[in-house]
Amino acid sequence: MNNLSIRSFTKFFLAPAIIAAFLSSCSDESTDGAVGTDTGPNTYTVAQADAGAEAFAANCATCHGNDLSGSPLGPMLAGADFMSRWGTQTAGALIANVKTNMPPGGNENLTDTDYQNIVAHILASNGMIKGATELTGSSNIIIAAYVTEQAPAPAQRRRSQFEAAGTSGLVIPGTVENFVPVTDAFLRDPDAADWPMIRRDYYAHSYSPLDQINTENVADLKLEWVWSMKSGSSEPAPLVYNGVIYLINPNNIIQALDAKSGELIWEHHSGPINQRNMRNIAIYNDKIIQATTDSRLVALDARTGEKVWETVVADASKGFSFSSGPIIADGKIIQGQGGCARYIPENCYLTAHDANTGARLWQFNPIAQVEDPGGDTWGGLDDIYRAGGETWITGSYDPDLNLTYWGTAQQKPWSTVSRHLTIEDVGLYTNSTVALDVETGEMKWHFQHVPAEALDIDEVFERVLVNRGDKKLVLSIGKHGILWKNDRVTGEFLGFKETVFQNVFTNIDPDTGLVTYRDDIINAQLDQWIPACPSSTGGKDWHSMTYHEPSGTIIAPLSQTCLENAAREVALEPGSGGMASSRRFFEMPGSDGNMGKLGAYNVDTLEEVWSFEQRASYHTGTVSTGGNLVFAGDLDRYFRAHDVTNGEVLWETRLGTSVQGHPIVFAVDGKQYIGVTAALGGSSPRTVPRVIAPEIKHPDNGNALYVFSLPN
Amino acid sequence: MRVITKLLSLLFISCLTLTIVSAQTTSFRARLSEVPVTPQTYKTITGVGEVFVTLNGSTASVTGTFEGMSSAASAVHIHNAPKAMNGPPIGALEATSLPAGSISGELELTAEQVEALRNEELYIVIHTENNPGGELRGWLFARD
Repeated sequence: MNNLSIRSFTKFFLAPAIIAAFLSSCSDESTDGAVGTDTGPNTYTVAQADAGAEAFAANCATCHGNDLSGSPLGPMLAGADFMSRWGTQTAGALIANVKTNMPPGGNENLTDTDYQNIVAHILASNGMIKGATELTGSSNIIIAAYVTEQAPAPAQRRRSQFEAAGTSGLVIPGTVENFVPVTDAFLRDPDAADWPMIRRDYYAHSYSPLDQINTENVADLKLEWVWSMKSGSSEPAPLVYNGVIYLINPNNIIQALDAKSGELIWEHHSGPINQRNMRNIAIYNDKIIQATTDSRLVALDARTGEKVWETVVADASKGFSFSSGPIIADGKIIQGQGGCARYIPENCYLTAHDANTGARLWQFNPIAQVEDPGGDTWGGLDDIYRAGGETWITGSYDPDLNLTYWGTAQQKPWSTVSRHLTIEDVGLYTNSTVALDVETGEMKWHFQHVPAEALDIDEVFERVLVNRGDKKLVLSIGKHGILWKNDRVTGEFLGFKETVFQNVFTNIDPDTGLVTYRDDIINAQLDQWIPACPSSTGGKDWHSMTYHEPSGTIIAPLSQTCLENAAREVALEPGSGGMASSRRFFEMPGSDGNMGKLGAYNVDTLEEVWSFEQRASYHTGTVSTGGNLVFAGDLDRYFRAHDVTNGEVLWETRLGTSVQGHPIVFAVDGKQYIGVTAALGGSSPRTVPRVIAPEIKHPDNGNALYVFSLPN
Repeated sequence: MRVITKLLSLLFISCLTLTIVSAQTTSFRARLSEVPVTPQTYKTITGVGEVFVTLNGSTASVTGTFEGMSSAASAVHIHNAPKAMNGPPIGALEATSLPAGSISGELELTAEQVEALRNEELYIVIHTENNPGGELRGWLFARD
């Protein structure tokens, strides 16, 4: 955090919190948090924090690190990131959150006292001043009000490192020469040399017509250049426009690189520095549009990297966050929202903004409120207790219909019983495809793929738009691994294909797509372990699939693991909510230990054309080319080219660490290149392979962009 | 002529019987891997293995190997449940009382259990000293 950011942090988070605490202590002397009493504040005791350190080491350190610095399994719990998330919250709310959600595998031996002690340890490590009484679950002290600048090591060290590392704004100036503004017409039909949005085109095909590199010569592919990226959680989708790569890094940093040489042109830091992941950015007119991990939209001058405008979309202190960027449709920035699991009055909107100013034009709430159409599908819950429905994966767009297509995540908490609902309470419009009018935000149609989802197996991922003759289709695969086909004009269900083994449903109606759950899932009770395949890693997750139009084939990166899920209790009270499940994971029976699967499916028949299975899970989207190739990368550092017609491996190389992100195909001065990122971090798609296949090892650093080409 | 007809009939029936028998799978395999794990437990639930079952009528002959477990095998059972579900044990096998070793045994299956085997609804569990609830498991699938 830089000086400006510290000032902003103090202004927006610490100052109100301190004032609130002061007012609280003035108005009621008995209230927790009375500053400056003879006995000290009611924060925590040293003995309690010490006990918490032991419990933390036994139950939390595996994922969050002994010094709270985080790991690929769990986020950092110290420093500015932690404070920005929890600084304005009460200690009691933090205790409730930890108890509801942690540890992920559950531990029935942990008592309320243990949870309170663990939180006391976390707060002590973040510099909260010690007090005279123990921290309890009913504590209403505002966390930031008692955190000093003299936090003890190692949390303070970590915090200082990040604060010192950051310089906000345009930290490396430069100019993209001969920049030509990006028009709507260009985005509708991009030049073959470019990759100007997350999946290259509005239809989300992740397909490049370039064919210079093809099945005949791909074996000669060689590394052209490599560019090290910032460390942190990273699942990037670079953009390429007119010979320049625009690269999103962890910590909300964007770089412009010469696509031919890899030379840096400019670098902009929008903050916050929190090592969190952002998948993609967008380009429109003369601007790069950036969604930040703390739910802001920022527009940068694509030529110079200078900030043009900035707008706050949602309050990050309430848990809202962005992990994917926008799509630009008809001059509008359309941005999905994440972090919507808490019971708070604020809604979880998908929003549209003016690309020139950032002004909000319309908003769509994926959660039907009491008075809305579909509002009667939430079991009579008050609006505040209707959570989930995040739109955390970038949508697609049909310019002819002027509709944008988004997947929505499932209801929260994850399990039906935790939500105080039944399997009949389907919770519109979660786990659905929604088709929205780009002009107004009006929902034209929806199709709920998996109503009342109960195992953290959501259906939020990319919607691929396909034209076959006069048929306008939308295809998607969610975590259940089911390839769904719908008419994208009407939403009508047209068919499905199970791409991996699933046992969540005993039947899927071939005419309507209506799913029937297993009885034990329907009747699951709190703390009851329910097995299911696939796991929360998904049959498919955020890694986009490609549509290879010349062969009429979808090629999807799939995953084969299973889970056992046990629901936790969640109080129906404001500020509560969360995910609230314990999970444990295992290999998918019948997979022979092969977590990774590339599956190719004919879009007309939905039959599997070929598949390629391997031990290592896939961590990139698939991209296909006019050279009849499909590219994908995996946990075991391999990046491969397959023959799109049969899956045969035609070329492979091994990168510095796990291959993760979204490959790109582009050309400069008539020469074709393939780019791909090596990257680390992420949630279930990383956690599950790590515990199931610990023999697959890779460096825990090495985020980088690699670019390959044929020898001249 | 009548003898020839009878011989041809016998030959036909024999061929038919052979065809039916050969259509009935008699060889099965299970990959053994860790029971469900979490970030807290995956370092203490470890190992891998492989089990083969040959079915002769209703007699199942079992062989197999395992390695890399956290502690010595304490018991091996065959359980009955659909893929990825949990079900009751239906029989016990012998195993080397070490973290690595072999599995063997012969079980007489009921008609329902034979059907369960053919329906991929039988699985093997290796229990260990450190993980008495089970450390490795795997469903049996037809080898062809």
